Amino acid sequence: MTDITSFQFQSVDKNVSKMDVARLRLIWAIALFSLGFMVLIGRTLELGLADPVGAVRKTVATKSGRTVIAPVQMARADIVDRNGEILATNLETSSLAVDATMIKDPKGLARKLAEIIPDVPLATFEKRLSSGKKFVWLKRKLSPAQKWKVNALGEVGLKFEREEERIYPHGRLAAHVLGYVDVDGNGLAGLEHYFDDEMKAGSSQVDIGDRTLRTSLDIRVQFALADELSAAMRAHSAVGGAGLVMDVKSGEVIAMVSLPDYDPNDIRGISKEALFNRATKGVYELGSTFKTFTFAAALDEGVVTLNDGYDATKPLRISRFLIQDDHPKARYLSVPEIFTYSSNIGTAQMALDLGTERQQEFLNNIGLLQPAPIEITEVGAPMYPTNWRKVSTMTISYGHGIAVSPLQLATGISAMVNGGRLIPATLIHQTDGVREGKQVIKPSTSRQIRQLLRMVVKKGTGSKASAIGYRVGGKTGTAEKAAAGGYNEKLLISSFVGAFPMDDPQYVVFALLDEPKGIKETHGFRGGGWTAAPVVKNVILRASPILGIAPKEEDEGLYRQIAMKIHDDKKR
Amino acid sequence: MVQKSLSVRRVDRNIFQKFIGLNWFIVLTNIAIAGAGLVMLYSVAGGSWEPWAAAQSVRLAMGVCLMLMIAVTDIRIWMALAYPAWVVGVAMLLAVEVIGAVGMGGQRWLDIGFMRIQPSELMKIAVVLALARYFHGRDFYQSRRLVSLVFPAVLLIVPMILVVRQPDLGTSLMIVAGGAAVLFLAGLPAWLFVSAGVVVAAAIPIGWQFLHDYQKNRVLTFLNPESDPLGAGYQITQSKIALGSGGMTGKGFLQGTQSQLNFLPEMKTDFIFTVLAEEFGLIGAVILLSLYTIVLLYGLLIGIGTRSQFGRLLASGLSITLFLYVLINVAMVMGLMPVVGVPLPMVSWGGSAMLTWLIAYGLILSVATHRQVTLAPKGSGLA
Repeated sequence: MTDITSFQFQSVDKNVSKMDVARLRLIWAIALFSLGFMVLIGRTLELGLADPVGAVRKTVATKSGRTVIAPVQMARADIVDRNGEILATNLETSSLAVDATMIKDPKGLARKLAEIIPDVPLATFEKRLSSGKKFVWLKRKLSPAQKWKVNALGEVGLKFEREEERIYPHGRLAAHVLGYVDVDGNGLAGLEHYFDDEMKAGSSQVDIGDRTLRTSLDIRVQFALADELSAAMRAHSAVGGAGLVMDVKSGEVIAMVSLPDYDPNDIRGISKEALFNRATKGVYELGSTFKTFTFAAALDEGVVTLNDGYDATKPLRISRFLIQDDHPKARYLSVPEIFTYSSNIGTAQMALDLGTERQQEFLNNIGLLQPAPIEITEVGAPMYPTNWRKVSTMTISYGHGIAVSPLQLATGISAMVNGGRLIPATLIHQTDGVREGKQVIKPSTSRQIRQLLRMVVKKGTGSKASAIGYRVGGKTGTAEKAAAGGYNEKLLISSFVGAFPMDDPQYVVFALLDEPKGIKETHGFRGGGWTAAPVVKNVILRASPILGIAPKEEDEGLYRQIAMKIHDDKKR
Repeated sequence: MVQKSLSVRRVDRNIFQKFIGLNWFIVLTNIAIAGAGLVMLYSVAGGSWEPWAAAQSVRLAMGVCLMLMIAVTDIRIWMALAYPAWVVGVAMLLAVEVIGAVGMGGQRWLDIGFMRIQPSELMKIAVVLALARYFHGRDFYQSRRLVSLVFPAVLLIVPMILVVRQPDLGTSLMIVAGGAAVLFLAGLPAWLFVSAGVVVAAAIPIGWQFLHDYQKNRVLTFLNPESDPLGAGYQITQSKIALGSGGMTGKGFLQGTQSQLNFLPEMKTDFIFTVLAEEFGLIGAVILLSLYTIVLLYGLLIGIGTRSQFGRLLASGLSITLFLYVLINVAMVMGLMPVVGVPLPMVSWGGSAMLTWLIAYGLILSVATHRQVTLAPKGSGLA
């Protein structure tokens, strides 16, 4: 230490610039350093404030190193029907994973696992067991027996992870409404998809009270509708079907069926056809059911009254089109007769009197020109001509040249019969049972439409929908299926839309069959009046007791005036 | 020689006076950081001192004693030991290469009977020491001559190559970064760093093929962790989930589901910050980061306020090395960087990282204690 002092003193001047540079650079370093920490803190905030979706699916409390399984708190919300019947819930299962770094004999273990779990190929096990990774899934969602056997192997590298499996106790019933989830519990279709965030753990519970999504469905009515529709589909060898039951005062969808359907419990290898929701995503030219709207618009605007009539003696020729009737009467028809006998000729003339502009405005008002708003994402956009010419006005008046979804139609018909208020359809249970709606026609027009619909079932094309005592009203629809470059008259879309009880309508029931074939029982007929109307009738007979609607004697006086305007040709 | 009497009076305090004069707030802040680590190790063990927290606290006690001893030791001794430390470090790295025990997939440990040491950790300090020593003897203009860069390049590159061969990419990058910080502070021309950056960027595609498969995987996983959330991306996905699930105040001590359920990989080492963030939330995480900021900012401020070039380069170089240590770990668990297997110093389980931190911080405190000392340009005076 003797010569410390002699070395200590150096020329200060010589080091001035060096010190300045060093200090300047240190300040740079401090700036970068602060920036680095700011980035870290910023990232902490970003991650910390982010919503940990699906982060906490499993909860375990620990005490002195031992893990104790606690009840699952963060399960995906249940889905129930309007009466609390469970439609979708969760089942705890175990999934098998491996810490491949701990596996001594991958081949031997793979063979043992393949015996226990036959649906995974041996090669897959071998590959994963010898992957050398700390965590690899081997099989998701084991059965309890499989879990027990794997446990009995006593292999320390194998690990079980608790998981939830989504279970739909009613299977394929209401599959298109509920949708389904993937293996990690992400909703991929239907309500599961639309409310995915709300149903997942830790999310806002805006629409979901008490961790349960209460839908508007009544699973008993759903069963009646699905049962009747599939029976009709089988009987007529139809390729598909769709059905709806809707509460006209609240817009609640009580039942919604699309056929063919699928089992959301097992979504492997399901065809696109089965996944397709015909009730909301399918758009169809629905034919004469559309006449209801033409009549409502014309009556509401005062273009015609029930006392007027049109010439339906011969087919109507306009440019290269020929408009003719399916049930030709070849005479002058009163307005109620045009509706009851479903005369295209009369309706088209009425539409001309109404005018293109008012027709468009009316259809737009009742939501037929936009996709229906509803709580699933499988919604189809309606199709209609961009160039809405005079001939379009005429064909659209009886439901050709415009394609809408069954849900749109049912919503529109609800507005026609409920006193004139358009109430958007919903799949969510409405506690008060009545929702506000936009007034689209006068209550008096709605009353007239009810009478007209009732007459169709009493005297006209919809007689097969007559469920005795339930005062059903409705309208048939039969349309040739659109094919490349025109229509295929061999293939039909047959439908019927009904409402009941007609003196105070509560529900709209809709049924559609895609490509029904004629059979002996229907004398070869395959139109809506022969194929879809009986479905509606049977559904009403089965659902009315469930929905609390009692059969009663009809007050004939309600229809006396209108009945006088309808002449039955056979009696003459 | 008027200055002689002044400096002698300041320098020649005895050890007890130096001990009293230490910045005890900073010492306690360091201990507080390690305390957070003990709490987390207790939690990771499921609420038990065994097997980690107890052993770690013994190490902490020993390490703090070592730090304080280094802090009160004369800076000239450290200057004299700068090159020898580097030589010993390189020798140990070579020894690892030759006889090292195989552990954690690479040869990184050296078993010296009573304990196993990781020479690459000590090398982080030795490189900064040696470079600070080298540039202390050179004035600004000498520093900028290219010829005078040959020796520091050797000081930097030899240990780097040895550590890369272990293979330990994370540590070798940290050695280079810490050394580069010293070079930058020593006043090397800025274009040198810019062109070095360009060269590195250009070398990435070439270097890629020399990476081990697991290293390639880590980088690919970093670039897109969701590509394989159950395989290679599992670590980082789980880590981010845990960070996110803590919320503002966390799930509470011992209540973190990710950590208590063994979802997190390497919880007690590399991913311990995640455990803390899950159980103590944003507030806990920000407090820990603030503690680090306090001690490291102190180190840089010491660098500014130190009279000798050696002390300035040593304190600031070590501060930046330690900062990189923290930055790389935290950025890694947050998914801002590839997973490179760097522990969070002082908090993670394991002696080497804690020892590195405490030795380095002992040196920073020693610089602080001797900040008024001016040192000879060519040597320590102890030779």
